[in-house]
Amino acid sequence: MTRKIYAAATAIAIATTPAFAAEGAVDKADVLGTYADIAAAAYGDSLSTAQALQVAVGRLIAAPSPEALEAAKAAWKSARVPYQQSEVFRFGNPIVDDWEGKVNAWPLDEGLIDYVDASYGGSTDENQYAVLNVIANPTFTLSGEEVDASEITPDLLENTLQEADGVESNVATGYHAIEFMLWGQDLHGTDKGAGERPWTDYAKGDDCTNANCDRRGAYLKAATDLLVSDLEYMAAQWGDTGAARQTLLEDQDAGVAAILTGMGSLSYGEQAGERMKLGVLLNDPEEEHDCFSDNTYNSHFYDGLGMHNVYNGQYVGVDGRVIWGASVSDLVAAADPEVDATLKADLDATMFKLLAIKVAAEGGFSYDMMLARGNKEGEALIMGAVDALVTQTRGIERAVSALSLDDIGFEGSDSLDNPDAVFQ
Amino acid sequence: MRLSFLSPRTLTAAALSVGVTCAALPASAGLNQVIELHILQGTEDFAAATRALSDAAAADCQPAAVQGPYNAAFDAWMEISHLRFGPLEKDGRINAIAFWPDAKGFIGRSLGGLIAEEDPIVQHPQDFSSVSVAARGLFALEMLLYDPQYSGYAADSYTCHLVQAVSFDLARMADGIDADWRDEQAPAMRSAGQPGNTTYLSDDEVTQALYTALLAGLEFTEDQRVGRPLGTFDRPRATRAEARRSGRSLRNVVLSLQALRDFSEALADVQIPVTEAAFDTALEQAEGLNDPVFAGVDDPTGRLKIEILQQRIQAARRAVEGEIGAALGVTAGFNSADGD
Repeated sequence: MTRKIYAAATAIAIATTPAFAAEGAVDKADVLGTYADIAAAAYGDSLSTAQALQVAVGRLIAAPSPEALEAAKAAWKSARVPYQQSEVFRFGNPIVDDWEGKVNAWPLDEGLIDYVDASYGGSTDENQYAVLNVIANPTFTLSGEEVDASEITPDLLENTLQEADGVESNVATGYHAIEFMLWGQDLHGTDKGAGERPWTDYAKGDDCTNANCDRRGAYLKAATDLLVSDLEYMAAQWGDTGAARQTLLEDQDAGVAAILTGMGSLSYGEQAGERMKLGVLLNDPEEEHDCFSDNTYNSHFYDGLGMHNVYNGQYVGVDGRVIWGASVSDLVAAADPEVDATLKADLDATMFKLLAIKVAAEGGFSYDMMLARGNKEGEALIMGAVDALVTQTRGIERAVSALSLDDIGFEGSDSLDNPDAVFQ
Repeated sequence: MRLSFLSPRTLTAAALSVGVTCAALPASAGLNQVIELHILQGTEDFAAATRALSDAAAADCQPAAVQGPYNAAFDAWMEISHLRFGPLEKDGRINAIAFWPDAKGFIGRSLGGLIAEEDPIVQHPQDFSSVSVAARGLFALEMLLYDPQYSGYAADSYTCHLVQAVSFDLARMADGIDADWRDEQAPAMRSAGQPGNTTYLSDDEVTQALYTALLAGLEFTEDQRVGRPLGTFDRPRATRAEARRSGRSLRNVVLSLQALRDFSEALADVQIPVTEAAFDTALEQAEGLNDPVFAGVDDPTGRLKIEILQQRIQAARRAVEGEIGAALGVTAGFNSADGD
């Protein structure tokens, strides 16, 4: 494994550098090395941007103001840029998949955490604790047990509230819980507009709105601290001696299969299906991945970019650092140039479709508006990206076949190999 | 179903146990049979059954008149519900026909919204596809026909017209699926590998698509239809059973196993004694349950029987992987249930 880190200036040279395949046989170990380096960089960037969020949250709690809240929101949005690019590492790598629910679980019944609008409803058949509101309730009963939540700590969030009562939508930790703490509910439906939590929800003394501002601040701090420690853990797993890297390198064929598995599962079932198509079909803005902040178009865009990164073996870091090296593309090109060329074109096409959504959203046609019933333009934009993701999935399957990886032993995570675990 | 590569160990075990060879058979051998006998028959049946449902609802919209044809349409759906690609995936049809599971209660909310506002869309059933998938298809109809909150509607009421619109829309989708399979999907599969066919570059790709659907169908029945009501030992979830309002939860498991058994036989085109035996064992367990909505999950004895059913279905899936996957020389591709 050779680590290749280039200065930003060197990146310009990349476009004109011949692919590794042209230089002779591609070494699978090098391909896996590049992939692990990209993972290390993406999680490292996720960590540093989460630490910046932690600083901004600290300032908001210490000296609440409209500016401090806006600064924390901006830091959250920045933190999503590298993290979403890391999602491609999820499905092929058990260490990531087992951990992922702590940081990016979604969708959530946010009434578990804090106050919600009357239109949200109460507890449901599926979730008795959909309106538990831990911020307003220092003690409560959960699955028959009395819980002392007088002090809101990372431990309470992680070990008591997260997936409380075995319900997946009881999400107490991670990016989306923090997103809710910063933006609040988006009550604009399919009209333009994100959540409008007032900064005074964190104000001190008589300025405090919606009560329990100190507990709300404690929750936000606990959730942010937990995010940082969870990301520290994952960044370490991809370091030179990290377990995720070691596992990947143990078996080269299984490692390459893991790369393609991660791409295919994210492309089709997760992003095209669960995250994009379903929202359009339900016309429901709650099905937006980043529904509180209206940042969904960016989440989709950077998820797509993550797949593009690992196939092509390059990643641009948040500080302009570029990682580049032998790629799966090189391997596939050596085996079947046509399959490689098609998949590269498919991945590019997806990025253009996702970019079209981003351009429209940043220009004022927000993602919630795209989801409105009868909104043909929005549906066409989103379904265009869905179709591109489905097409690239076929290309990924062909790459698996081209590399003769169909019949290798592949040990996945619980949710990969034992889907029962997902429901328990 | 996640992309689950067969381990060499599984292959060897299967080869030893049934004496099949690992050499791949010509992939096209069973394709015509599976398309003609299994798939096109199924899409035709579903189109006919939903047309009958729509006609019945148009003549008399009340539950007593509609429930019979509704169940016949649901039965016909079970013949093809595992074909989650191509025509069933187009325009979100599968989500619209069978919006389940509904963990966030979208169905009740969407129907409640249409009824409260007396949304005029019901007067234009041909445009009903513009409403949320949660208010369309078999599960919306089930709520209207069986849930006491809705089922007491009068003839000529808004809900009556809603039942007619949902039925009409369902028949329209079924007709579209049948037409798309005949006019586009089946020809594309039959002409795999020929110049100009960009969907299927070889017979192997067709075989893989069908094999993926078979495994994903088994996994859906195992994890969702049986797994969701099972929940955990400490927290069983009887109210999560599929189609419990119409009392079809177990029936759907039986019908899906029968359909997947037929599908396996058509696709394999060789003797598959291990797979057939595994399906028979699972069907026997299901048919002996006498627990139509899996209410028994709450009771230790009842629960054990349902857990055994789940294990039997899992065993059928393993048999398919070992026997049919090996014989055809394919492994599963990606499917729409990959992900969370």
